[in-house]
Amino acid sequence: MIAALVPYNTLVVAAAVAAVGLAAGMVGALAVLRRRALAGDAAAHGSLAGVATAFLATGRRDLGWLLVGGLVTSLATLAALVAIRRWTRTRDDAAMALVLGVSFGAGVALVTGITARGLPDSAGLEQFLLGHTAGVTAGDAALLAVCALGAAGLVTLGLKELTLVAFDEAFAAAAGWPVGLVDLGLVGLIAVMVVVGLPAAGAVLVTALLVIPPVAARQWTDRVGTMVLLAGLFGTLSALVGVVGSALVPRLPTGPVVVLAAAALAAVSAVAAPGRGWWSRRAAARRALVAWREGDLLASLARGDRPPAGADGALRRALADGLVARGAGGFTLTAAGTARAADLARRREAWARILATAPDDARAFLTVDLPDPAAVIDGARLAEIRSAAERCR
Amino acid sequence: MSPSVTGIESFHLWNIATAMAVAAPCALVGTLLVARRLSLLGDAIAHAVLPGIVIAVLAGGRPGGWLTMIGAVAAAIVTASIATAVASNSVGVGEDAATGVGFTTMFALGVILVSVAASRVDLDTACVLYGELELSAFDTVPVAGLEIPRGFITGCLLFAGVGLALCLSWKEQVLAAFDPAAARALGLPVAGLSVALLVGTALTTVAGFDAVGGVLVVTMLVAPAAAAELLVSRLHHVAAVAVAIGMAAGAIGYLAAWRLDTGAAGMIAVVLGAVYAVAALVAPEHGILARALGAVALRWRVAREDFLAAAWRAAEGGTATVPRGWAAWPVARWLAAEGAVGWTPTGWRLTPTGRARAETIVRSHRLWEAWLGRNVDLPLDHLHPPAEWVEHHIGSAVRAILAAEVGDSVADPHGRSIPPESPPPAGRAR
Repeated sequence: MIAALVPYNTLVVAAAVAAVGLAAGMVGALAVLRRRALAGDAAAHGSLAGVATAFLATGRRDLGWLLVGGLVTSLATLAALVAIRRWTRTRDDAAMALVLGVSFGAGVALVTGITARGLPDSAGLEQFLLGHTAGVTAGDAALLAVCALGAAGLVTLGLKELTLVAFDEAFAAAAGWPVGLVDLGLVGLIAVMVVVGLPAAGAVLVTALLVIPPVAARQWTDRVGTMVLLAGLFGTLSALVGVVGSALVPRLPTGPVVVLAAAALAAVSAVAAPGRGWWSRRAAARRALVAWREGDLLASLARGDRPPAGADGALRRALADGLVARGAGGFTLTAAGTARAADLARRREAWARILATAPDDARAFLTVDLPDPAAVIDGARLAEIRSAAERCR
Repeated sequence: MSPSVTGIESFHLWNIATAMAVAAPCALVGTLLVARRLSLLGDAIAHAVLPGIVIAVLAGGRPGGWLTMIGAVAAAIVTASIATAVASNSVGVGEDAATGVGFTTMFALGVILVSVAASRVDLDTACVLYGELELSAFDTVPVAGLEIPRGFITGCLLFAGVGLALCLSWKEQVLAAFDPAAARALGLPVAGLSVALLVGTALTTVAGFDAVGGVLVVTMLVAPAAAAELLVSRLHHVAAVAVAIGMAAGAIGYLAAWRLDTGAAGMIAVVLGAVYAVAALVAPEHGILARALGAVALRWRVAREDFLAAAWRAAEGGTATVPRGWAAWPVARWLAAEGAVGWTPTGWRLTPTGRARAETIVRSHRLWEAWLGRNVDLPLDHLHPPAEWVEHHIGSAVRAILAAEVGDSVADPHGRSIPPESPPPAGRAR
């Protein structure tokens, strides 16, 4: 039914762009973990000059050659970056901005020069600046999909090595892994994805396809495999939204829509992701505060004091939970409340001992909701701390 | 666009003047960005001001006018706060990724606004990407009877404003750039200076935006300062050279684009890149060529000194023989031309000058061995390698100190005598 409504070509292109989004997200996940996000940006800006040169050399708009040209100048841009770091005293940030701007300037000069001469087919070149999938044919789409799926396959195959190098370079090197080779492979994959992503997002914004989906995925999980999969999924979604959006609004380039879709996913993730998201952290902080206030209240009632000032909310909750009863002379603890207060006092006591004898363990495990030490610290270690505390006494 | 009509030539001149006027404040702000390692903030701001500019234009502002400047500053501050918020709030995401998220999103938003509102505003995506320096001469305001391009006036005013602000706060800026901790300890408003730099970047970006487009502004900001830093060291020299480079590149880039029939924006960036490349190659002190030549000169001197020392030891009847073979031949020829060795039927022989030079080197070597043997707990066979390296690098002053410490008459740890200090040969620094 969809096929009846949408031209075949559009469907093929959408499928290819979805594959590009998937692969870009997967490669980008490892690029972000390895802190290579900006290398992708430099490669992206550098690709334009190669696309334009390939167009001048072949004289027509053959996507395969244009992408090969883009890949060559992307890698040349990265090589220039390495050379500047190695042989000049220009600092990293300036080197990055310089290489990025100058390589893009060369691309812009070539593209505007070609456009000004009105060479046949040259209008299509500007699509590589901000991305435009409308001009992509079914054959081009197949090429893009094959490259993208190849990159995704390589990431899957090399996931263990890439993860190891990203998280513990020193260990990987000491264990005899070819860190330099793995890094080179990652940078190569980044350059390939940047170039393959050009038709979808353009030289200016394609880096976002590599960076934003992984940042969104990072909010949901701590496992690399899951993050890579999620980043691929987010990349696919944003790429599809981009294709649809630019098809609906005339003259709207694909790249910006892709980026905004990815950014929306990232914003939702940053707010709503369980554990890491803003909402979840806020809720955890509130829970901790409530527990703290309750402990405060129970402790002062157990001492026979009046409820502390500002404990109205805690008092209401404790009354509802049956921990506190309203007596004639004020509030008193129920049997459950007494037990809870005793338990709390015991835990405070235990943590005070741990703080005195093993402050590092306390710093690592003590949270504001005052958990039972036995629940958070390893049993053997806890016994060690206890015996140390005994000796001190 | 035939250049024969005087009117057209004058519009080219005005365009060049505008390019130079815009490049100057960009280079000034860029000097501080580069010195404070904030180049990428400049890049991010240059991308991120786009939605601010577009909204200001939609609200009735004119590209390059006051309203767009306010919009750009607002957008820059919003982006900087977003990037800070993302970086400080999300665990596991690096600062680079956070910046990458922030500025691409803002730029994408700007492009979408431009695309959707293209029919209503005086902006399109080409202008966003390339600027419209070529047309700047036609957007004029009358000043004292002359039609002056707006871009030129904006550039000049910004240059004056930024220049004045920098002159008034130069000491503070230098301190904040090179020792922010000390600046904070002295009570300088380092955060305030950063915000001022942010605002300055946003303002110059608006001017650069009209001239070369949103993506290439970063080149006008960073490249002149990066090239200048290779050539000179003191920050006010860097600023002056950066302004000169930026203005020259603006003019040359425009002329090159005109001759090659392409856009000025890209060519200005390419010229700036070329200037940087040349500076990196030929900078007097830190240039690639200077350092390569220095390395070659050092190796050549070491080779000659090693030859002299080996010949001296051979004459002493010790362990070493006079070097022979093809590798030693050019060294010996050179030394012969200097008058340090002469050819005899049995091989190369030191002349009196050569013997004096060789004795200096051997003296350095053996003094160092003696000092090491006395002061450092090293086995005997470990004394030679460091001495072999150090002998080429110590002068008479260090030798005098070493001699005083080890006692002048002693032998080296291998039992060979240390030759006496020979008088410095004429015309040689060492």
